[in-house]
Amino acid sequence: MGRDLADWMEERTGIVSLTQKLLYEPVPKRGTWLYTLGSATLFLITLQFLTGILLLFYYVPSADDAWDSIYYVMNDAYFGQYIRGIHFWSANALLLVIGLHMMRTFLSGSYKAPREMNWVVGVFLILIVTILAFSGYALRWDQEGFWAWEVGAKIASYTPFIGGWAITTLLGGDTAGPATLSRVFALHVWLLPAALAPLIGIHLYLLRKHGEYGAPFEYAERLSELRKQQQMRAYDEMEEDEL
Amino acid sequence: MPAELQKDPLSRGQFLWMGALGTFVGAALTIPPAVFVLDPAIKDVVQGKSDVIDEWKELDSVYDIPPGEAVTQLVEFTQKQTYDAGQPAVDRTGTNVRPLTNAVLLSWKDGKVPGVLEGRDEEKPLTQTERHELGRKLNVMSNACAHMGCPTRWSEEEKEIVCPCHGGIYDINGEHTGGPPPHGLWRYAFRITEQGDILVKHQFHIKGSNATRPYVV
Repeated sequence: MGRDLADWMEERTGIVSLTQKLLYEPVPKRGTWLYTLGSATLFLITLQFLTGILLLFYYVPSADDAWDSIYYVMNDAYFGQYIRGIHFWSANALLLVIGLHMMRTFLSGSYKAPREMNWVVGVFLILIVTILAFSGYALRWDQEGFWAWEVGAKIASYTPFIGGWAITTLLGGDTAGPATLSRVFALHVWLLPAALAPLIGIHLYLLRKHGEYGAPFEYAERLSELRKQQQMRAYDEMEEDEL
Repeated sequence: MPAELQKDPLSRGQFLWMGALGTFVGAALTIPPAVFVLDPAIKDVVQGKSDVIDEWKELDSVYDIPPGEAVTQLVEFTQKQTYDAGQPAVDRTGTNVRPLTNAVLLSWKDGKVPGVLEGRDEEKPLTQTERHELGRKLNVMSNACAHMGCPTRWSEEEKEIVCPCHGGIYDINGEHTGGPPPHGLWRYAFRITEQGDILVKHQFHIKGSNATRPYVV
């Protein structure tokens, strides 16, 4: 029965072959654990999305209520501490794991040709995640979060030429207030995740396009397979030419 | 051959362990988020808690209700919803308790002012029996239509309580007389003081039903 269902779905959606294509990817034999850091990052980001959606059921993005709404989550809502705890700690772990992931990429030289673009995309991803973490801090609207955002905006104000534009844009005015919180909320919940998601897609696409990086001898089997295929194709073409 | 087929790479014990572990992990992943999201529903349905604080609010006096019509009065209850769930620390900020404004429809039974009040000196306290008598004659109704909760009002021309949304009609006693509502208007828990003031509570019932939650009021 299960097989019939799988066949039925495969015929109509190609889901089975797609899943196979997505799941099976040769990776280098050496340093396997170091190659899980990217997956760990993806897992933690997924956790952020899921717990973030849940927190939105209670969070109120207004200067009057933001703090109280989180107080409610932490003290009154069932599993509130648990859900928010996951959001908070996985955000912390995310930055750590991204750092390790980036370090592994750097130290193993995985950024070299033809993978430079994936490094560039990764840099944008880490930037977005950093701003996400920072804006999430401000959403608490407690003393820590409020002043952190104030300081961040102040730092941005030292940008040459556009400092004034930067700080007023980040604060939603020339002082920090209710408009600031609305802005931080829009950034944290809509703009940045919306920018993050497609970039993750591109990051993964590029990874699968070029394959995991590893020393060539670790790829020996894969390369010989590839060469054989190329050779076969070349023979086929030759035969077609002759016909 | 059957013996061959039964040679499963997975033993029965392993299979059961996998099932148990899968159930546990599945529950751990799904139950907390579901309960978290359903929090308000659990507090209402399972624990019977209300967002509105259990307190009496004062309306006009029984002497002010005219004969032959239903008058509307606004009353403000104290609502504490989710983010101001009555935590003492939160209470002290004072900005997070929101008033919940209800419109109350008041009328005398069949529009007739009870004999007790005819030519009575308002300064004289009402006795227990008189208050009981008045209570039986007084309609203290929610203006929320019993159909879909739209705000109903007294129509001077039609001499009935009408709903603007789907044409629900009630008589002066709040009894359903026409349109889609399944029953008459919701009634408040109320009492009458010795001075003749009407006090209401955010608690409801319907005549001939044990439903207690209008939900939209």
